[in-house]
Amino acid sequence: MNEVLVLIGQVLGHCRVIAQIGEGGMGVVYRAYDEVLHRDVAVKVVKKSATPDISSRQNLLQEARASSSLAHPNICTIYDVGEIGGDLYIVMELVEGKSLHGLAGEMGLPPETVLRYGVQIASALARAHDRGIVHRDLKTANIVVTPEGLVKVLDFGLAKRVGGGILDAPTLSFSTVQDGSSMSGTLPYMAPEVLRGDAADSRSDLWALGVVLYEAASGRLPFGGRTGFEISAAIMREIPNPLGPPVPPGLWAIIQRCLAKEPMQRYQRATEVQAALEAVQSGGIAFPEAAEDRTAGPPRTTTMHSIRHVRIKKRDFVVLVGTNKGAFILRSNAQRRRWDVGGPYFHGHSVYAMAYDGRGDQRRIWASTSSFWGTLLRSSDDFGKSWTNPQQAPVRFPADTGTSLKNIWQITLGRAEEPDRLYCGVEPAALFESRDAGQNWSLVRGLFDHPHRPRWMPGNGGLALHTIVLDPSNQQRMYVGISSGGVYRTEDGGQSWTAQNRGIRALFMPEKYPEFGQCVHKIALHPARPERLFLQNHWGLYRSDDCGEHWTDIANGVPSDFGFPVVIHPRDPDCVYAVPVESEEFRCVCDGRLRVYRTRNAGASWEPLMRGLPQKQAYETVLRDAMTTDSLDPVGIYFGTRSGQLFGSNDEGKNWNRILGGLPSILCVRCAVVEDEGLGNVFPVSPKAPQQVSRKSNASHQSTKRKNKKR
Amino acid sequence: MKVTIYIPAALREFTDGRNEVSVEPSGATVAEALSALWNAYPGVRDRVLNEQDQVRQHINIFVGNENIRYTGGLTTRVPKNSQISIVPAVSGGQ
Repeated sequence: MNEVLVLIGQVLGHCRVIAQIGEGGMGVVYRAYDEVLHRDVAVKVVKKSATPDISSRQNLLQEARASSSLAHPNICTIYDVGEIGGDLYIVMELVEGKSLHGLAGEMGLPPETVLRYGVQIASALARAHDRGIVHRDLKTANIVVTPEGLVKVLDFGLAKRVGGGILDAPTLSFSTVQDGSSMSGTLPYMAPEVLRGDAADSRSDLWALGVVLYEAASGRLPFGGRTGFEISAAIMREIPNPLGPPVPPGLWAIIQRCLAKEPMQRYQRATEVQAALEAVQSGGIAFPEAAEDRTAGPPRTTTMHSIRHVRIKKRDFVVLVGTNKGAFILRSNAQRRRWDVGGPYFHGHSVYAMAYDGRGDQRRIWASTSSFWGTLLRSSDDFGKSWTNPQQAPVRFPADTGTSLKNIWQITLGRAEEPDRLYCGVEPAALFESRDAGQNWSLVRGLFDHPHRPRWMPGNGGLALHTIVLDPSNQQRMYVGISSGGVYRTEDGGQSWTAQNRGIRALFMPEKYPEFGQCVHKIALHPARPERLFLQNHWGLYRSDDCGEHWTDIANGVPSDFGFPVVIHPRDPDCVYAVPVESEEFRCVCDGRLRVYRTRNAGASWEPLMRGLPQKQAYETVLRDAMTTDSLDPVGIYFGTRSGQLFGSNDEGKNWNRILGGLPSILCVRCAVVEDEGLGNVFPVSPKAPQQVSRKSNASHQSTKRKNKKR
Repeated sequence: MKVTIYIPAALREFTDGRNEVSVEPSGATVAEALSALWNAYPGVRDRVLNEQDQVRQHINIFVGNENIRYTGGLTTRVPKNSQISIVPAVSGGQ
């Protein structure tokens, strides 16, 4: 008390102390008047006990000086630092308002207010982190909101340099503590790594931001307890109680990600949190009816008129071709010699992924369509005559990710025993899953939140998850291929993922065999030997015999080990087909000769297959999904080229035919045998089926008519 | 206040074939006018905006003759009786 009396009226630097306005963890705060600049200021006098030695005083001075460089509207500005009678003092902006702790009260603030304040706090942290300054003691008591609604974060960078265990009433009697050089902060806001004794970094501030948001939204702390020990234990091990309405799911998701126990699983930058909060904010404020929209309305169906359709009979054979200007459906029988062609469907849209789902009673074709108007997953139950045209894009990133869908690269069916399960691999690289036959989709968070994800790099085609491989013998195991991230495997049904790239080269990286970052182009697995995988890499053909733990180079006798597709014989796990291209720079088949290469000994040697394929000036490229095999006997193999030619072999690759030419660039080829008894009933009207390969000359006119028809 | 929104051919499937839709937004911004459009014809929304509520890269929205990219985006004010146009961008390539 004497200290207060003595200081009031005194001049510190050029500031006259007027009155005490508070007492916090570091010392006493006074209102003062800057007699040179004629402005009101706050002066914080740091108690001696907080800086017991010269070194700690110097450190505090240094930090205060560094923090004074943080000119930001949401950071309380430090104007000056100095010493008086052995005490340090800090002159700072006088912020008048209420602490966020006081405002949150016991009930919490409305979500839109939490978002508005959260954006400002994240913005303040982003500026400080950019300058290498970590707050280390972010808490609601350190955040003041002015009557105008402007947020000011106080005491940047000071906590680390300040010792002592001083009572701090606004934080429920848990004080700013520091009992060593690394541990500092206020217990309920401390990140697990700080409790473990690791140095706090910017991500520890993001943890504290998660606690602040939780408290602001609910009036409660996420990790509680009667003693410091109980609180520490909760922080280390417990999951906070979920925040339900009125807290929107997007905000709750952001808080959860801030509160990931491992720093690598949190947001890595304050700017990411800011963007995510802004996304939720704009979603909620600009378009308040959005949430209702997304559940409203039946899926629409578009009937494709003036397009030639194929008529499908039981045991017919279909080939699905996706191009960069639409999709085609080809029909044949088990002989696979004569083809009817339906399409083009989705005029002008890129169709990167197609699939035929014949599980259970289904006979459904899936296609992803991409255009200026976005990317949609669509399906047809009548072999292309009509397609779903959903009002809302079914595959979509949640608001809190700050990410939007660019493309769907892969549609993969779940295992036979999971007939309602589907997967989509998308760009930017992420995996989506549906457990209700494609009606609802959810982002596989275990992969999206993988700590490697921020360091994946886009390949030539973008940053895409383009390959999904399910282990048929183990429902928990799955592989994905990411360009450029490499191979990732889950052993727990998608909750956690590990990079599996040992032995795969990444020639474009300084470290040639990194843990991840490889540009994998395609992976193939044979159900009879599910532990074995084949992989075509961006340079490199590989095999793994141990579920991707290790990879061995098998480019023994191919003219180039660069290429895109790799497909496997349906009955022979040693037989694999690939189409090498010349190089990264010249992505055309070697020497202008279109050749498929086959190994029948799991990669010990390869042989070219070329009979019927052009061997002169055929500068063709076969993309990663533009090749497939069927399940008939003998096995058929089909591939499409970027120049729009579709080739097929109905004798395992010995002889080839050009099935179709003049298509747009072919992006994907898939095939299936239609095993169905009742097709006549579902497909009563169809155009005249052509006898030979033909495309209707007026097929370029597509008109669409909406029908509110449920599947 | 009434605002007329021009619907491009590709989206008329979702507006019962209408090439123009008249809406009465709750406020005076493009966002509010578009919200009124989504209310009437929900299928248009995801074709124009991505899931982060940003106008898709190759879609332009004009108020009168001004592209809103240069006038404040979705917060651009819409004068009385003006027309909003949704137009796919002209771009080359593939």
